[in-house]
Amino acid sequence: MKRIARDAWLYLMAIPILLWTLLPIYHIFLFSISSKDSAFSGALWPAKPTLRNFETIAQQHHFYLHHFWAQIWNSLWIAVAVGLITLFVATCAAFAISRLKVKGGRAVMNLALFTYFIPAAFLAIPMYKAMGIFGLLNSRWSLVLAMVTLAAPYAIWVLKQASDKLPYELDEAARIDGATPLQLFRLVYLPLMTPSLVAIGTYALLLAWNEYLYAYLLLSHERTITLAVALGHFISADDSPWELLMATGLVYALPPAAIYYAFRGYMVSGLTSGAVKA
Amino acid sequence: MATVAFKSIHKSFGATKVLHGISLDIADGEFMVLVGPSGCGKSTLLRMLAGLEEISAGSIAIDGREVNDVESKDRDIAMVFQSYALYPHMTVRDNMGFSLRLRDFERKLIDERVNSAARILNLVPYLERFPRELSGGQRQRVAMGRAIVRDPKVFLFDEPLSNLDAKLRVAMRAEIKALHQRLKTTTVYVTHDQVEAMTMADRIAVMNEGRIEQLGEPLELYDRPANLFVAQFIGSPAMNVFDGVLRRNSGGEAWVEALGARWPVAPEVGGSDGQKVKYGVRPEHLAVAPGAAVPCEIVVVEPMGAETELLVQSGGTPLTVLIHGRPNVHPGDRVALATEAAHVHLFDAASGQRL
Repeated sequence: MKRIARDAWLYLMAIPILLWTLLPIYHIFLFSISSKDSAFSGALWPAKPTLRNFETIAQQHHFYLHHFWAQIWNSLWIAVAVGLITLFVATCAAFAISRLKVKGGRAVMNLALFTYFIPAAFLAIPMYKAMGIFGLLNSRWSLVLAMVTLAAPYAIWVLKQASDKLPYELDEAARIDGATPLQLFRLVYLPLMTPSLVAIGTYALLLAWNEYLYAYLLLSHERTITLAVALGHFISADDSPWELLMATGLVYALPPAAIYYAFRGYMVSGLTSGAVKA
Repeated sequence: MATVAFKSIHKSFGATKVLHGISLDIADGEFMVLVGPSGCGKSTLLRMLAGLEEISAGSIAIDGREVNDVESKDRDIAMVFQSYALYPHMTVRDNMGFSLRLRDFERKLIDERVNSAARILNLVPYLERFPRELSGGQRQRVAMGRAIVRDPKVFLFDEPLSNLDAKLRVAMRAEIKALHQRLKTTTVYVTHDQVEAMTMADRIAVMNEGRIEQLGEPLELYDRPANLFVAQFIGSPAMNVFDGVLRRNSGGEAWVEALGARWPVAPEVGGSDGQKVKYGVRPEHLAVAPGAAVPCEIVVVEPMGAETELLVQSGGTPLTVLIHGRPNVHPGDRVALATEAAHVHLFDAASGQRL
């Protein structure tokens, strides 16, 4: 009886929250399957649902969508690169700090974390300047490097906490068994860190996929911008094609949802693994 | 097979000194046990031999070759950890073969060695399992298997049985000893359990606060402890020790006044008349004898079948008496205790050294 009462209470809380969260997404979906005329009709379901908008997107048949495929490719390319490079940097750093106990490693990590005290928006202008000096403006690499910089401190911290939890005897056993630090890293450390690595890789990938401000600043050419920036352009017109904007937004939201769904098991165990210092 | 030699080994962690000049020679094929309370430095000494701790001063030699600056992997040692330290993502087979794989052995040779070790340790049915699918005793055996396949010069054991339950511990103790008798590899074994030390060792080094208190064969330590620490550390139940005063008369007789009674000592014992001493006698060397010199009261009777342990009070001091068989005594009984001078251990009260 007590259980039922508690469950009922939970449902009572959960249902409004769920509706609150899903309503905007439903709204996007509704727009995306409506024709231009009926998009603002206010109906809960369009009189004539259509997939025309998606067709328009795929064929790039609109002024704002002329480079759709190039832009989504940019987004994907940059997100994957950020994910991989962050993973590489953070894993090596965490291994060096936590397992090899390199002198000053902790200080470096704390310094890196300290950068989070400065809002990323403040760093945008210096970053723009730096990329300009390196001649990287309007190149995908500028955004990749910027996002890796933003993602790495958190990634290092989470991976360091996770690797602190691996028993140190494993390293000692491997050393006695004859493993060099590189073999230890490859044959013992990486396999045991897999859940955390997947979680952090996904985190960095999604961070880059969703980035707007830096992408807007660092990339400016129609063919080099990411889809996030392209979506922003939609609103610059007086008569924005809302139904196309929403349809593109829906397409844009699918890859992260798929990635998150694929790795959901790792996300829970990986991201909480660094949360509490045991 | 190899000898191991420690020469005036010192170790400090920052300002804390944990080892104060340890010298110890271990013979080829010997089973040496380092035993002592936690914090005595025994594990540190072992880890220095393994190459897992820096040597602050002194030298360690394996088979006559100084290894101070030799990497763990090049010392030709194998170690069994208290936590087993098995690689969780590898099968038993891969765990055991890992060291050979790192040394670029041929797959066939690795399989041969792993299979042979698995047969010795009864691990054949478990070779394709992961460590998480094994019981504590099986994991322990895998850890030993990982050491065996290497065919190293020296086996190192760091409290390998501490994580097992009591029954398994006794079984594994016998297994390790049998393994040593079969392979005859020089072994250094660290434990805080004196029973393990007594039952397994060829020789024991009893350590305390960074020093070796006494080095010797198990029964030698038991029969002639060099000082109070060893006397009280070795033996279960522990030796009875209480304060007394040594008395001698001109007739050459010697005895100790303690607990309001007169206790026998051998006349040839060292020490002078009036010297403050610690009188030590093992529980099995005390006997309940009618009309004996030392009156006491029985507090607890613990029958164990073959033996009976009595906790008694004499002059306000608790003593333990171990008696073969089943004496007809009950708590509250007033009895008398007797002992023989030959079984008495006498220590100087100030220095704790044997007299």
